[in-house]
Amino acid sequence: MKDTFRQSMKWFHTWVGLVVGWVLFFMFITGSAGYFYKEITHYMEPERPLINHQLSNSELLDKAQQYMSIHASDVQEWDVFLPSRRDTNLQVGWRHAPKEGESRGKYIKQVLDANTGQQVITRATGGGRSLYRMHYSLHYLETRLSYWIVGFCTMLMLLAVITGVVIHKKIFSDFFTFRAKKGLPGWLDSHNVLSVIALPFHFMITYSGLLFFPFIYMALSVSIQTNEPELNELMDEVYPSSAEVTPANIPAKMQSLSSLYEQTKTIWSDDKLELVEIYAANDINAHIRFSRSVTDITYNPSDEIVFNGVTGERISEPERQYTVSAMIHNGFISLHEGQFSVTIVRWLYFFTGLIGAAMIASGLVLWTTKRKPQQMKKPNGPDFGYRLVEQLNIGTIVGLPIAIASYFYGNRLLPIEMANRAEWEIHLLFISWALLLTYPAYRPKAKAWSEQLHLAAAIFIFMPVLNALTTDKHLGITLSHGDWLYAGFDLTMLAIGLTFAFAGFKFNKSQRNKTSQSKSAKTQRSNIKTTVDNELVLNKENSGAL
Amino acid sequence: MSSLLDKINFTKPRWQVFSRVLAAVFGGYALATAASLFIAQLLIYIIEKNQAIHISIMLTFLIYAGTAIWVFSVTSARQAWVGLLKFNVILLASTWLLMQFTDVTS
Amino acid sequence: MLLLICLSFSAMALFCLAMEKHRQQVTDKALPQFLSQFFKPLAWLLLVITFYISGKLYGWSIGPAVFFGALTAALLPLILLLTYRAKVVPIVAIVLPLVTCANFILG
Repeated sequence: MKDTFRQSMKWFHTWVGLVVGWVLFFMFITGSAGYFYKEITHYMEPERPLINHQLSNSELLDKAQQYMSIHASDVQEWDVFLPSRRDTNLQVGWRHAPKEGESRGKYIKQVLDANTGQQVITRATGGGRSLYRMHYSLHYLETRLSYWIVGFCTMLMLLAVITGVVIHKKIFSDFFTFRAKKGLPGWLDSHNVLSVIALPFHFMITYSGLLFFPFIYMALSVSIQTNEPELNELMDEVYPSSAEVTPANIPAKMQSLSSLYEQTKTIWSDDKLELVEIYAANDINAHIRFSRSVTDITYNPSDEIVFNGVTGERISEPERQYTVSAMIHNGFISLHEGQFSVTIVRWLYFFTGLIGAAMIASGLVLWTTKRKPQQMKKPNGPDFGYRLVEQLNIGTIVGLPIAIASYFYGNRLLPIEMANRAEWEIHLLFISWALLLTYPAYRPKAKAWSEQLHLAAAIFIFMPVLNALTTDKHLGITLSHGDWLYAGFDLTMLAIGLTFAFAGFKFNKSQRNKTSQSKSAKTQRSNIKTTVDNELVLNKENSGAL
Repeated sequence: MSSLLDKINFTKPRWQVFSRVLAAVFGGYALATAASLFIAQLLIYIIEKNQAIHISIMLTFLIYAGTAIWVFSVTSARQAWVGLLKFNVILLASTWLLMQFTDVTS
Repeated sequence: MLLLICLSFSAMALFCLAMEKHRQQVTDKALPQFLSQFFKPLAWLLLVITFYISGKLYGWSIGPAVFFGALTAALLPLILLLTYRAKVVPIVAIVLPLVTCANFILG
């Protein structure tokens, strides 16, 4: 390709990064946000009551059971979501029977007030879940197409990670190098540092990302090796599911959830109950499954306890069987999703995801910084490619966070009774992103960077204030009540805003240094010119005088 | 008219790049598929069939990545295509050979 | 968790000192050759210990992942410190793990 292997790889790394860098940045940002999707949803439904620490799970279970017996009596699959560290409200859910032309019925999830046992009506919103879903199913596009696009980008990311290591010759001797100067070495070192300090993560997240849809990507291979019944058998092994419970349509009285819960407490030493799923409710075949929070990357059968809903007897075979290869596969998926994480590990995932996003961003900026001097010298201005990259950089690296903030703003500002409210919150995200991507074409680039950085700072810092103005749950209340999910969100917005403010400040400072440098150069040149002129005049006078 | 001919002049470097991209994407996919068939056949001697297929699928992503890198490091696009063809044939032939000794439906 | 991060910090700081180029950033003193050849093995030892503690604390399936996370969390401040406040690094690398160890054992 080029003269040496390393040079070819450098070219390859650059192009692979450039082709999909912005999509990958989107995936890293929405993915990082996705690690906190439950907490984000909690914030985006401010109607949820502040938690009552006094009630026990038993009482909550009874209230939920009572509520669903009244309101979901025609449905036979019920779910009860107990308050947990990540989601402090009692919630219930059920799936309606499918309507005409639907393969699955609609799933309804409702927040219950733990004190009254009645529903709390929360605003229609996609919540954190929409952000997390966008991460892999890219909004507006058909799901299958998104999976292919995302898979393509992930494959290129894998190539970028591998080639990045290959071309970073001095990866060990330059391990701690960070020349914090502005200009090319600064950006290159940032890119290197951000890549290297989280290299295991970058590799893991990319490879495990590919493992989410391997049977779509490698469909050819699979279809050659299996026919349809064999394929179904393979799928059942790869994605084990618990046995189907079909109602016998013979009504029977179910045990109370709280009495079954007393049984689980004797089996589990800790009280980390998260979910209760009821199948064939109020039927003779009723099965009730109690699940506690997952603590491992592999399936742990002791995390689930299943009872016969009518007799209260425990059913002791493990719900799902995993083969070795399925365990490996599932292990990678669990590592990617981080569902097992306790709070501090979850924050680590979030930060490392942001480091990944910053790695991509620094690479993109590095590309333009490297080419800037020669591009600026061109007679008709910079090339189309260069201008496009710079515009996309501004609009994505700063523009996407602003767009996500406007998603949150939409959640607070859109009228509650608005039709398709949840969809419109997401439209707002993409509309603002589109605007932020296009307007830099009409502004001098330095100004566009500065404006977007300051806009980002303002919009994030103002978020807690907006919250105080539009809800009854400002920081004073949430902090004093110990609602750390809610307060944490406000505080994180503040922190992000301050980071952008700092970045804007540094950017303006470097711009001022640049102009003052060129200004002082100009002044020097004109000073010299004046001195020379004066001398000439003097000489003339002198010679004239002579 | 001449500029149009210039644009589709196949000796220009951009066609080399395009050719390599095609080789990496499609030829690489073929190679990854062939490799997964081969690896599955090898693994069937050690583990049961479904797990063999499952593991080989998980590994092929790495093979695909390696192939793409290789395509862009050889001296010419033609070499890349020839190499891909060679490896595909070798893998498919080996797979077919192995299949004679196991009972695998295809 | 904090313990893991601090131990990783010290381990990486030791690696850093083991390298001529980076040691110059940190200290002007010339260290005796005899002493500095222990830095690398000591650093590896500290890393292995940190990995082991991580496995013990979090279980052996999650422990390794958490270990790498702690390493990342330690590397970022280390590199920033090296760039802006290099002199501080040796003191931090000694004090921080001692403090967090004591806290962990007593707590």
